[in-house]
Parts: sequence; C-alpha cells; structure tokens
Amino acid sequence: MQVYLPIAEMSVDALLLLGIGFGVGWLSGLFGVGGGFLLTPLLILIGIPSPVAVASGANQTLGASVSGLIAQWRRDNVDARMGVVLLAGGIVGSALGVQLFALLRRAGQVDLAVAVFYVVVLGTVGLLMVRESVRAILRRRRTGSAAAARAHEHTWLHGLPFKIRFRKSRLYISIVPPLLIGFGIGVLSAVMGVGGGFMLVPAMIYLLGMPTSVVIGTSLFQVVFVSANVTLLQALQVGSVDIVLTLLLLAGGVAGAQFGAAMGTKLRGEETRALLGLLVLSVALGLLWDLVRAPENLFAIGPVP
Amino acid sequence: MRRAALALLAALWAGTAAAQVPPPTPALTADLSTDRVEISTGFTGASVLVFGATENLIGPASGEDVLVVATGPSQPTVVRRKVNVLGFWVNGPAATFPEVPGFYAIAATRPVWELLPEDTRRASRLGLDALPLRATGSQAPAFRAALLDLKQQDRRWQEYAAPVTVAGGRLFSARVAFPDTVQTGDYRIEVLLLRERRIVARQELFLRVERVGTAASIAHVARTAPLLYGVGCVLLAALAGWLGSVLFRRS
Repeated sequence: MQVYLPIAEMSVDALLLLGIGFGVGWLSGLFGVGGGFLLTPLLILIGIPSPVAVASGANQTLGASVSGLIAQWRRDNVDARMGVVLLAGGIVGSALGVQLFALLRRAGQVDLAVAVFYVVVLGTVGLLMVRESVRAILRRRRTGSAAAARAHEHTWLHGLPFKIRFRKSRLYISIVPPLLIGFGIGVLSAVMGVGGGFMLVPAMIYLLGMPTSVVIGTSLFQVVFVSANVTLLQALQVGSVDIVLTLLLLAGGVAGAQFGAAMGTKLRGEETRALLGLLVLSVALGLLWDLVRAPENLFAIGPVP
Repeated sequence: MRRAALALLAALWAGTAAAQVPPPTPALTADLSTDRVEISTGFTGASVLVFGATENLIGPASGEDVLVVATGPSQPTVVRRKVNVLGFWVNGPAATFPEVPGFYAIAATRPVWELLPEDTRRASRLGLDALPLRATGSQAPAFRAALLDLKQQDRRWQEYAAPVTVAGGRLFSARVAFPDTVQTGDYRIEVLLLRERRIVARQELFLRVERVGTAASIAHVARTAPLLYGVGCVLLAALAGWLGSVLFRRS
C-alpha cells in the first residue's frame, strides 16, 4: 500500500514503514534505547531525503521514548533532578546542533556530515560497549559472580564546584559533568536525528557512576525533552518534519517495543550491552563502508537549498 | 516619407492576402483528459492523456507530424560531483542550474531532430538537447550530461518515453506520465503540428498539479505556520507514545 509523504514529497510503501518501525521498536525495547541511530540511516537507505529522515527520526524517537518513560515512571526508576540538569545542557546543545545542521545543509555537505557523525559516534560508543561488556562477561566466568561495580571511585570529576545531591542516583557530585554531557548529546542528537539514549546510557553509567536501575528511566526523561526540542526547531528552521512518516513509524514502533521489552527481561545486563554494542558497531561499519567505497554515480542532483 | 509609404503598401497587401484565405478550419485541435492532477495521500504518480485531431492525414504520406511537449515549473537544481578526499567520497565541485524545468516530457510521431532544424528546436525548446541549460559554478560539460542523465533516471525528464499514437490517420493521442515526486504548480502542454521542417500550427494547454486533502493541509500548515506544525508534531508523537504504552501495557 503506497502512501504519499507530504513533506518528503514522495510516496513510499506504508507496510515497509510499519515494518521498519516494528523492527527498530523491537530492538529499542530490548535494549532500552530510542532506536533513532538505526532508524535515521534506514530511512536514508530507502530514499527519504536526509533532512526529512533526521527531523522525522527525532520526532519518532520522541513518541517511542514517551512510551518507555511512562513505563519507567510507574516503576519509580526516574531521577528527575538528574534529568533536569542533563536537559538544561541538552536544550542548549540541541539548539546549537540545529543551527549547525542548517549551516551544513546550505554548504551542501549535510549527507557527509550526518554520515561522519554516525561513523565516529557509533563506532566509539559501540567499541566501548563491546569492550566493557566482554570484560564483564569474562570476569563473571572467572569469579563465578558479577563483579561489584567500581562504585564511588574518586576522580577529578569529584573535585569540581557546584555540587548537589542526586538522591535517586545516590550521588553527590558537581552539576558541571552532567551539564556538559547533556550539551554534547544535545548537539549530536540534532545533527543525527537521534534521541541520544545509546550515548547517554553508557555516559551515565561510566562517567557519572549512576546505578543501572535509574539509568534507563532518566535517559528516557532527557531523550523525550531533547527530541521534542529538536522536532520543534527542525520544523521551524528547516521545515522537514514529516508527520505522516513519523506516525507510520510509531504505529509499528510502539508495538515492536513491547515485544522487545518482554524479551529483554530474559537476557543478562552484560549480554544485552554486548549485543547492543555489536549492533551499534555494525551500523557504524556499514555507514563507513558507504563512505569509502567507490560510488556508482559520481554525480548527484538536488534542489538548490 | 518613402519608408512610411512602403509600410502602408505592405499593410494593404497583407490585408488583402488575409482576406483571400477561406475561413480556417483549424489544422489542429487538442485537449487533455484532465486539467488537474491531484496529489492526495494515496498518490503514486499520474498519467494524463493528450489527444486531438488534425485536418490532414498524419504520417509520411502527407508529411505531417504531431509533437507533444509538457513543461513543468522551473526548478533550480544543483549538480554535485563526488571527489575522493583521504579515501572518503565527499561532495566536491558543484554546478547550479538556476532555470531548468522541474518536469519535461516530449513525445512525437517521429524524433524531433528529424523534423525540425536546430535553430527552431532551440527557439521552441523542443528536445532535451535543445533546452538552454546554463550553469553557474563549475562549467564542465560533465555536469550538464549528469543533469540530463539523472533527471531522466528519475523520470522527471522524458524523451520519447511514450509514443504519440495515431488512429484513423487523423486522431492522435499521447500519455504524459508524472512520477510520484512531481512538483506542484502549473504545467504547460504544447501540441505542435509540423510539416516540411516548419511548425504549421500549435496549441497550448494548461494543467495544474496540486496537493489536495490531508496532504495539502499538512504541507500548507508546515509551510505557513511552522511553529504550530512543530508543536502539533510533538504532541501527536507524544500522544501516539502514550497510546502505545496504554494499549500494550504488560504489567
């Protein structure tokens, strides 16, 4: 069944979009991330223009994360105070990121920029996750039990000023690191059309030392608001949010997420992280391959921006 | 003085010449199956039938040929060439074509280069090779070739993609196929009658491509009230997410 996308100005198969939404939703339910990092490249692959794919990807991430946030909120797994601090950085970052995106679009390098951001960010995050989780799995094999997390290890991060207490995260730290993390992820999510959950989750665990139980809920809290901000700014400045595309993806996505979440409960934490790391890494490698292989056609046409 | 007298003479002669011609039966009559192409939510492209009749027989016997040209609104286009920088393929030099038609289709009973001399083709923009493709930026001919090639690949430019079929010697018809990526706006369809390497009659027809229904309202709101549209997108997505968490609640 073909459906016409009014902003992308093309028609695509609605079943294909529902299927992509379901598959990405399934993975995001399994791993507790928004899934935008998979969705945006997939949309570009099926021929959606990159500005529309990025903007609508952010909008879809918003919907998917609201669904997850409600579930986590019910279980009291959201550190709202930490969420607000991350968000303050995130809003500023995403505002800057949208400007950067508009600038790249005018320079005609938006496809390249999106691809490079993806390769670098996904490659780094994927490698780190795989390395960490493989170590954790090996450690468990050796000692027979999950090793205790290196909690409360004091680093230079703890010497920074403006300390406040995050009760739910059981932390007493400076607000500077979460602000900076929020800011960086805000910039990336605007350029890449992702919520940033796949970056935020490891950052909260490894950089801030938050307990795993509140990490997913808190990351979703931040992702909901940052992706709402990105959607709004993209609609205002680039005019490339396609609501028909978003809603079709969401229809498949919210259903898929539930199946994924049900399966996720059967996997161990380290295994889930290893699988997510591998997935992130393979997306990065696929995009890298696209950048280095000789293109079929050296020329490309597009509208004058 | 002399010049004025000559002009008067010429005018008189032209007047009598016109009077001698019998009241004209049109050499050519043509129409479209529709004057509106509507882009609705289920739009997958459209095809419009151009049909008509000529006074004389069409074909090699009479030497008359029919030509149909459809031209869409101008769409400034950039052609970019990828270059390899440190092993990565990035967008390099570009040529901007400020005035090229977003859509162009030509169909004829015989290829136009057999029918008309080059200067006529250029003046009336008949045939892809007769389009004035002026570029700013890189002037390399490869950009022009790439533009022609890529536009034809995505079916926005078509040369003899569909035939002009003739029935009973005088009735002709041709289909103009618009792809799903067609631009909105006013399209001009010209039907020409050719004889002895000249254009002997022409008729202009007009066609409007526009979005209707939901697709139209969405695009309209997105363009005229982007803030409202953005807020709407945020709320709709959040609503869909909430609905999902209620419908599929598993606890």
